[in-house]
Amino acid sequence: MTPDIFQAIADPSRREILHLLSHQTLTINELAENFDMSRPAVSKHVKVLSQSGFITIRDIGRERYCLLSQEGFQQLQAWVSYFDKFWQHKLKKLETVLNNKSNPA
Amino acid sequence: MHSIRHTYFYQQSPAEVWAYLTESELLAQWLMPNDFRAEAGHEFTFRTRPMPAFGFDGIVYCKVVEIVPHKRLAYTWKGGPGPGEITLDTLVEWELREKDHGTELLLHHSGFQERNSMMFGIMDGGWLKNMGEIADLLNKAKV
Repeated sequence: MTPDIFQAIADPSRREILHLLSHQTLTINELAENFDMSRPAVSKHVKVLSQSGFITIRDIGRERYCLLSQEGFQQLQAWVSYFDKFWQHKLKKLETVLNNKSNPA
Repeated sequence: MHSIRHTYFYQQSPAEVWAYLTESELLAQWLMPNDFRAEAGHEFTFRTRPMPAFGFDGIVYCKVVEIVPHKRLAYTWKGGPGPGEITLDTLVEWELREKDHGTELLLHHSGFQERNSMMFGIMDGGWLKNMGEIADLLNKAKV
Protein backbone atom coordinates (compact mmCIF):
# COMPACT_ATOMS: atom_id res chain seq x y z
CA MET A 1 0.00 0.00 0.00
CA THR A 2 1.24 3.47 -0.82
CA PRO A 3 1.71 5.50 2.37
CA ASP A 4 -0.21 8.76 2.25
CA ILE A 5 1.66 12.05 2.22
CA PHE A 6 0.65 13.07 5.72
CA GLN A 7 1.82 9.83 7.26
CA ALA A 8 5.02 10.24 5.32
CA ILE A 9 5.83 13.60 6.89
CA ALA A 10 4.37 12.84 10.31
CA ASP A 11 7.66 11.20 11.32
CA PRO A 12 10.38 13.59 12.58
CA SER A 13 13.21 11.53 11.05
CA ARG A 14 11.55 11.68 7.67
CA ARG A 15 11.07 15.42 7.97
CA GLU A 16 14.75 15.70 8.84
CA ILE A 17 15.64 13.66 5.76
CA LEU A 18 13.63 16.04 3.58
CA HIS A 19 15.27 18.96 5.31
CA LEU A 20 18.76 17.58 4.61
CA LEU A 21 17.84 16.88 1.01
CA SER A 22 16.55 20.40 0.58
CA HIS A 23 20.15 21.59 1.01
CA GLN A 24 21.85 18.99 -1.11
CA THR A 25 21.36 15.72 -2.89
CA LEU A 26 22.76 12.88 -0.79
CA THR A 27 23.35 9.15 -1.05
CA ILE A 28 21.62 6.89 1.44
CA ASN A 29 24.98 6.36 3.17
CA GLU A 30 25.53 10.10 3.48
CA LEU A 31 22.02 10.50 4.85
CA ALA A 32 22.61 7.73 7.39
CA GLU A 33 25.67 9.59 8.74
CA ASN A 34 23.29 12.29 10.01
CA PHE A 35 21.29 9.90 12.15
CA ASP A 36 21.86 7.62 15.11
CA MET A 37 19.76 4.90 13.59
CA SER A 38 21.07 2.10 11.41
CA ARG A 39 21.45 2.39 7.67
CA PRO A 40 18.59 -0.09 7.06
CA ALA A 41 16.35 2.07 9.26
CA VAL A 42 17.27 5.16 7.22
CA SER A 43 16.71 3.14 4.09
CA LYS A 44 13.22 2.28 5.29
CA HIS A 45 12.35 5.93 5.83
CA VAL A 46 13.75 6.75 2.40
CA LYS A 47 11.49 4.09 0.94
CA VAL A 48 8.38 5.59 2.59
CA LEU A 49 9.31 9.05 1.32
CA SER A 50 9.92 7.66 -2.12
CA GLN A 51 6.60 5.76 -2.22
CA SER A 52 4.69 8.85 -1.15
CA GLY A 53 6.30 10.94 -3.87
CA PHE A 54 8.53 13.21 -1.79
CA ILE A 55 11.81 11.90 -3.08
CA THR A 56 13.11 9.88 -5.97
CA ILE A 57 16.06 7.54 -5.85
CA ARG A 58 18.47 7.44 -8.74
CA ASP A 59 21.39 5.17 -9.31
CA ILE A 60 24.25 7.19 -10.63
CA GLY A 61 27.49 5.33 -11.10
CA ARG A 62 27.79 3.03 -8.11
CA GLU A 63 25.85 5.25 -5.75
CA ARG A 64 22.16 5.58 -4.95
CA TYR A 65 21.19 9.23 -4.70
CA CYS A 66 18.10 10.64 -3.01
CA LEU A 67 16.54 13.68 -4.62
CA LEU A 68 13.56 15.76 -3.64
CA SER A 69 10.61 15.12 -5.88
CA GLN A 70 7.83 17.53 -6.65
CA GLU A 71 4.90 15.14 -6.55
CA GLY A 72 4.48 14.91 -2.77
CA PHE A 73 4.71 18.65 -2.35
CA GLN A 74 2.12 19.25 -5.02
CA GLN A 75 -0.23 16.90 -3.18
CA LEU A 76 0.13 18.98 -0.04
CA GLN A 77 -0.77 22.06 -2.02
CA ALA A 78 -3.70 20.12 -3.43
CA TRP A 79 -5.02 19.55 0.09
CA VAL A 80 -5.06 23.29 0.79
CA SER A 81 -6.65 24.02 -2.59
CA TYR A 82 -9.20 21.33 -1.93
CA PHE A 83 -10.41 23.10 1.23
CA ASP A 84 -10.27 26.45 -0.49
CA LYS A 85 -12.78 25.24 -3.09
CA PHE A 86 -14.74 23.32 -0.47
CA TRP A 87 -15.38 26.51 1.53
CA GLN A 88 -16.23 28.57 -1.54
CA HIS A 89 -18.84 26.00 -2.44
CA LYS A 90 -20.21 25.75 1.12
CA LEU A 91 -20.47 29.51 1.64
CA LYS A 92 -22.47 29.79 -1.53
CA LYS A 93 -24.69 26.94 -0.44
CA LEU A 94 -25.31 28.73 2.86
CA GLU A 95 -26.54 31.71 0.86
CA THR A 96 -28.98 29.52 -1.05
CA VAL A 97 -30.24 27.92 2.14
CA LEU A 98 -30.67 31.29 3.87
CA ASN A 99 -32.46 32.82 0.91
CA ASN A 100 -34.83 29.91 0.57
CA LYS A 101 -35.63 30.25 4.22
CA SER A 102 -36.58 33.94 4.04
CA ASN A 103 -38.56 33.58 0.81
CA PRO A 104 -40.43 30.31 1.08
CA ALA A 105 -41.87 29.25 -2.25
CA MET B 1 -1.04 29.49 0.32
CA HIS B 2 -0.69 28.46 3.95
CA SER B 3 -4.15 29.34 5.17
CA ILE B 4 -7.52 29.97 3.60
CA ARG B 5 -9.56 33.14 3.95
CA HIS B 6 -12.96 33.89 2.54
CA THR B 7 -15.43 36.70 3.04
CA TYR B 8 -19.04 36.34 2.04
CA PHE B 9 -21.97 38.70 2.34
CA TYR B 10 -25.44 37.51 3.34
CA GLN B 11 -28.60 39.59 3.29
CA GLN B 12 -29.75 38.11 6.59
CA SER B 13 -28.96 39.46 10.04
CA PRO B 14 -26.03 38.17 12.09
CA ALA B 15 -28.53 36.39 14.36
CA GLU B 16 -29.94 34.46 11.42
CA VAL B 17 -26.55 33.57 10.01
CA TRP B 18 -25.39 32.61 13.49
CA ALA B 19 -28.23 30.11 13.77
CA TYR B 20 -27.01 28.40 10.60
CA LEU B 21 -23.51 28.19 12.01
CA THR B 22 -24.47 26.84 15.40
CA GLU B 23 -27.69 24.81 15.24
CA SER B 24 -26.80 21.28 14.27
CA GLU B 25 -29.72 20.71 11.89
CA LEU B 26 -29.37 24.07 10.17
CA LEU B 27 -25.61 23.59 9.90
CA ALA B 28 -26.17 20.21 8.26
CA GLN B 29 -28.29 21.85 5.57
CA TRP B 30 -25.30 23.58 4.02
CA LEU B 31 -22.14 22.11 5.52
CA MET B 32 -22.16 18.48 6.67
CA PRO B 33 -24.01 16.17 9.03
CA ASN B 34 -22.72 16.86 12.54
CA ASP B 35 -23.34 16.72 16.27
CA PHE B 36 -22.36 20.31 16.95
CA ARG B 37 -23.44 22.10 20.11
CA ALA B 38 -22.77 25.76 20.81
CA GLU B 39 -20.68 25.18 23.92
CA ALA B 40 -17.00 25.94 24.44
CA GLY B 41 -15.13 22.67 24.82
CA HIS B 42 -17.79 20.59 23.08
CA GLU B 43 -16.28 17.88 20.88
CA PHE B 44 -18.10 16.92 17.71
CA THR B 45 -17.60 15.51 14.24
CA PHE B 46 -18.56 16.32 10.68
CA ARG B 47 -19.11 13.41 8.33
CA THR B 48 -18.36 13.44 4.65
CA ARG B 49 -17.12 11.05 2.01
CA PRO B 50 -13.70 9.48 2.57
CA MET B 51 -10.82 10.54 0.35
CA PRO B 52 -8.22 7.79 0.53
CA ALA B 53 -5.83 9.61 -1.80
CA PHE B 54 -5.51 12.33 0.83
CA GLY B 55 -5.35 9.85 3.70
CA PHE B 56 -8.70 11.07 4.94
CA ASP B 57 -11.43 8.75 6.24
CA GLY B 58 -14.26 11.27 5.90
CA ILE B 59 -14.57 12.21 9.57
CA VAL B 60 -13.60 15.71 10.70
CA TYR B 61 -12.91 15.82 14.44
CA CYS B 62 -13.68 19.18 15.97
CA LYS B 63 -13.70 20.93 19.31
CA VAL B 64 -15.28 24.31 20.00
CA VAL B 65 -12.51 26.61 21.21
CA GLU B 66 -14.22 29.99 21.10
CA ILE B 67 -17.81 31.11 21.06
CA VAL B 68 -19.10 34.69 21.23
CA PRO B 69 -22.79 34.65 20.28
CA HIS B 70 -23.57 36.37 16.95
CA LYS B 71 -19.92 37.43 16.61
CA ARG B 72 -17.25 34.76 16.72
CA LEU B 73 -16.94 31.01 16.56
CA ALA B 74 -13.84 28.86 16.32
CA TYR B 75 -13.28 25.13 16.31
CA THR B 76 -10.42 22.79 15.63
CA TRP B 77 -10.65 20.82 12.41
CA LYS B 78 -8.73 17.57 12.43
CA GLY B 79 -8.70 14.50 10.30
CA GLY B 80 -6.69 11.53 9.21
CA PRO B 81 -6.66 8.11 7.64
CA GLY B 82 -8.34 6.26 10.50
CA PRO B 83 -9.46 6.28 14.15
CA GLY B 84 -6.98 7.97 16.46
CA GLU B 85 -4.61 8.95 13.69
CA ILE B 86 -4.61 12.69 13.10
CA THR B 87 -2.56 13.96 10.20
CA LEU B 88 -4.47 17.13 9.40
CA ASP B 89 -4.58 19.48 12.38
CA THR B 90 -6.14 22.82 11.55
CA LEU B 91 -8.37 25.56 12.93
CA VAL B 92 -11.58 27.02 11.50
CA GLU B 93 -12.60 30.52 12.64
CA TRP B 94 -15.79 32.37 11.81
CA GLU B 95 -16.42 36.05 12.34
CA LEU B 96 -19.73 37.81 11.76
CA ARG B 97 -20.01 41.56 11.14
CA GLU B 98 -23.21 43.47 10.70
CA LYS B 99 -23.00 45.38 7.43
CA ASP B 100 -25.51 47.08 5.12
CA HIS B 101 -28.50 45.46 6.89
CA GLY B 102 -26.92 42.09 6.35
CA THR B 103 -23.96 40.09 7.54
CA GLU B 104 -20.42 39.88 6.40
CA LEU B 105 -19.10 36.42 7.25
CA LEU B 106 -15.37 35.91 7.46
CA LEU B 107 -13.84 32.47 7.36
CA HIS B 108 -10.26 31.68 8.25
CA HIS B 109 -9.07 28.11 7.93
CA SER B 110 -5.50 27.96 9.21
CA GLY B 111 -2.90 25.67 10.66
CA PHE B 112 -1.79 24.02 7.43
CA GLN B 113 1.48 25.85 7.79
CA GLU B 114 2.29 24.73 11.33
CA ARG B 115 2.53 21.14 10.33
CA ASN B 116 3.91 21.76 6.90
CA SER B 117 5.91 24.96 7.08
CA MET B 118 9.12 23.11 6.35
CA MET B 119 7.52 21.58 3.31
CA PHE B 120 6.62 24.97 1.93
CA GLY B 121 10.13 26.15 2.70
CA ILE B 122 11.54 23.32 0.67
CA MET B 123 9.18 24.14 -2.13
CA ASP B 124 10.47 27.68 -2.20
CA GLY B 125 14.16 27.15 -1.80
CA GLY B 126 15.24 23.62 -2.48
CA TRP B 127 14.10 23.08 -5.98
CA LEU B 128 16.39 24.71 -8.45
CA LYS B 129 19.35 23.71 -6.38
CA ASN B 130 18.41 20.06 -6.59
CA MET B 131 17.79 20.26 -10.29
CA GLY B 132 21.24 21.76 -10.73
CA GLU B 133 22.84 19.08 -8.64
CA ILE B 134 21.31 16.17 -10.45
CA ALA B 135 22.56 17.64 -13.70
CA ASP B 136 26.08 17.86 -12.26
CA LEU B 137 25.94 14.32 -10.95
CA LEU B 138 24.71 12.95 -14.25
CA ASN B 139 27.49 14.75 -16.04
CA LYS B 140 30.07 13.37 -13.64
CA ALA B 141 28.72 9.84 -14.04
CA LYS B 142 29.19 10.02 -17.79
CA VAL B 143 32.90 10.74 -17.48
